[in-house]
This record gives sequence, structure tokens and C-alpha cells, in this order.
Amino acid sequence: MNCREALPWIHEYLDGTLEGPQSLELKKHLLSCPACRDLLKSMERTEGLIRTMPKPVVPDGLTSRIMGGLPQKKKKTEWLKWIQRHPAISVASVFLLVMLGSFLSLWNQDTDLVVKGSDLDQVVITGNTVIVPAGKTVNGDLMVKGGTIKVDGDLKGNLTVIDGSINLASTAHISGQIKEVDRALDWLWFQVNEIYSLATR
Amino acid sequence: MYKDKIYHLAFRMLSQSQTAEDIVQETFLRVYRNLDRYDESQKFSTWIYRIATNLCIDQLRKRKPSYSPDAEMPDGEGADWYSLLPSEEATPEDQIMLSETQLQIREAIQSLPEKYKSVVILRYLHDMSLQEIGDVLDMPVTTVKTRVHRGREFLRNKLDGDFGDKKTETF
Repeated sequence: MNCREALPWIHEYLDGTLEGPQSLELKKHLLSCPACRDLLKSMERTEGLIRTMPKPVVPDGLTSRIMGGLPQKKKKTEWLKWIQRHPAISVASVFLLVMLGSFLSLWNQDTDLVVKGSDLDQVVITGNTVIVPAGKTVNGDLMVKGGTIKVDGDLKGNLTVIDGSINLASTAHISGQIKEVDRALDWLWFQVNEIYSLATR
Repeated sequence: MYKDKIYHLAFRMLSQSQTAEDIVQETFLRVYRNLDRYDESQKFSTWIYRIATNLCIDQLRKRKPSYSPDAEMPDGEGADWYSLLPSEEATPEDQIMLSETQLQIREAIQSLPEKYKSVVILRYLHDMSLQEIGDVLDMPVTTVKTRVHRGREFLRNKLDGDFGDKKTETF
């Protein structure tokens, strides 16, 4: 082994990665070569010197500076975390919100006249007015939305008027109940009841 | 405490207490922001050291004087490059009287080229294994080894001429 070959092995030795047989060979070379011996000593001294470097003093207030640099926890993120933790409730409430929204928008958009009933043959519609003519009899319930109902004849059932007005003549005869719905919430309640009665039928 | 370790690392890398504090602050901010991206298969210390060394290396590269210090900075606020130079203000280390030997060692580390500096600091001042250094700097162990060897020779030439016996320089 010559000095040129020995140098990388000296480094390996200092790294602590020199294998057994190789270290024996290096040792043999070092015993016969004072220059390499000095080189190894010199490197060990250097390593020793570097390791003696004192640790710098950490300035006071570094911790508070670090903490101050971190973003404040926002309430919004707490809220978002709650949503992430409760996906089912979140989805359900979004669904309800959308349903409510569509009901309300239906309510607002729907200004056209709507007439519902099982016996509409007897009913006369002129413009925005629904008339049960005198002498005629309507069998079953009648629902009018967005218009005026004028009853001159007989109605054998309930009358429901949504967002409209009722005009009863003295000759009118209504066997069921008269219900007037004017507000969105009542409209909603009415719809829910309708769905419920359909479902239980 | 990682805070202290990262401060020691940044202080040795940049030799400036103010910049080192900035690096520590930025490191913790990044750890906080990217906690969800932390890969649990690696050690936490490796991850935080990687963030910090990358910040230090970026800082060292930024410092390379490619402009005249008199030139106005492009931000248009009239500041010139002198304002980026290390201030004369004493760092906490300066306030303690350092022995001449320690000053020479510090100077030797400061004068190390950047790519040996990080390796040497992690190896000798943070007692990391070659494998750990490779993980932190994201480079193969063979590269780390080469850099440790070069760094070692660089420091020996700087320091042992002063402290060792002169014969060692000829072999």
C-alpha cells in the first residue's frame, strides 16, 4: 500500500466505516510510514477541535418569537373541523337548506293561477278569477293559488286559497272548511301536510 | 429542544444571530403549515432538519454578491444592498470572550464552501451519522462521505497549520 491509497482509507477509518481486514492493512502501512501517521493524527486533532466548538447561546425570547410567528387559530377553522368530523349532519343540513330554498323560490316565482280539485268540470275560469257558478255543485276539495275564488254555487268539500282572495256570494254553500294561506311558512306547512297525508293514505 | 438545535445549526451555517433567529422562526412556521404533509415513515428530526438546512442553504446562496452594494434594490424603496450586510452588532457569542483558538475554528467553519459546510456542521456539531445526513440533505451516502472527506481536509489545512506540527503538511 502506498500513501495515495492510504488517504481514502484514513478517511474511512475516521468515518468509522473501515472493515476489519482493511484496517489491518492500513495499520501496517501507518507503522511503516510516519508521514501518514502524522496525517491521521492531524486529522484527528482537527476533528477534535471542531467538536469542541461551544454551542451558541440561544437568545431569550426565541420561543415567544416562534409562537408569535405562527398563525392564530381561527374560529372558522374550528367550524370547518366540526364539519369534517360530522359529515352526515353537515350533508343533511345542506340538503334541508336546499329544499327550503327551493320551496321558497317556488313560492316567490309562482304567481300564476293554479287550480286543483277532483271535480273541475263545474268550475269556470275567467282571467285570474275562478268561479263556481250559481246553481252548480262541485264535489270534492278545491284549491286555488294566486287568484280570486268567487263562489256563487255549492262546494261539497274544503276550500283552500293560497295567496289570493275569497269572494262568497249569499247563495254560496260550502260544506267543508275554508282555509286561507298567505305566508311562505304557512305554504310550506301546507305542503308538508299534503305530503304527509299522501304518505299515510 | 428542536428550537435550540435548529438555532445552533442556523447560527453555524450563517454566523449571524439575527438571521439564525429568522431561520428558526420560518422553520417552525413551515413545520406548522405542512404538518399534514409530514411522512410518518421518516424521523421527525430528519424532517425538521431538512426544512432548516434548506432554508439556510437558500439564505447562503442569496448572499452571494452578484450586485454592487451601492445599487438600489429592485423594490424601489431606496434601500441599498448595504442594508442586507451583517450588522456590526455583537452576537451573543461575541459577548462572551472567545479564545483565539475558538475564533480560528469559527473562522475555519465560516470559510467552508457551502456544500461542505452543511455536511460538516451536521456531522461534527449535531453528531449525525452519514446515513442521517444523507436523509436530511436528500443525497446518497456516498456523496455525503465525499463531502465529509473534503471538508475534513479543508479544515485540516486551515487549522492544523496553526495548531499542529508543520511536518504534517508534507507527506
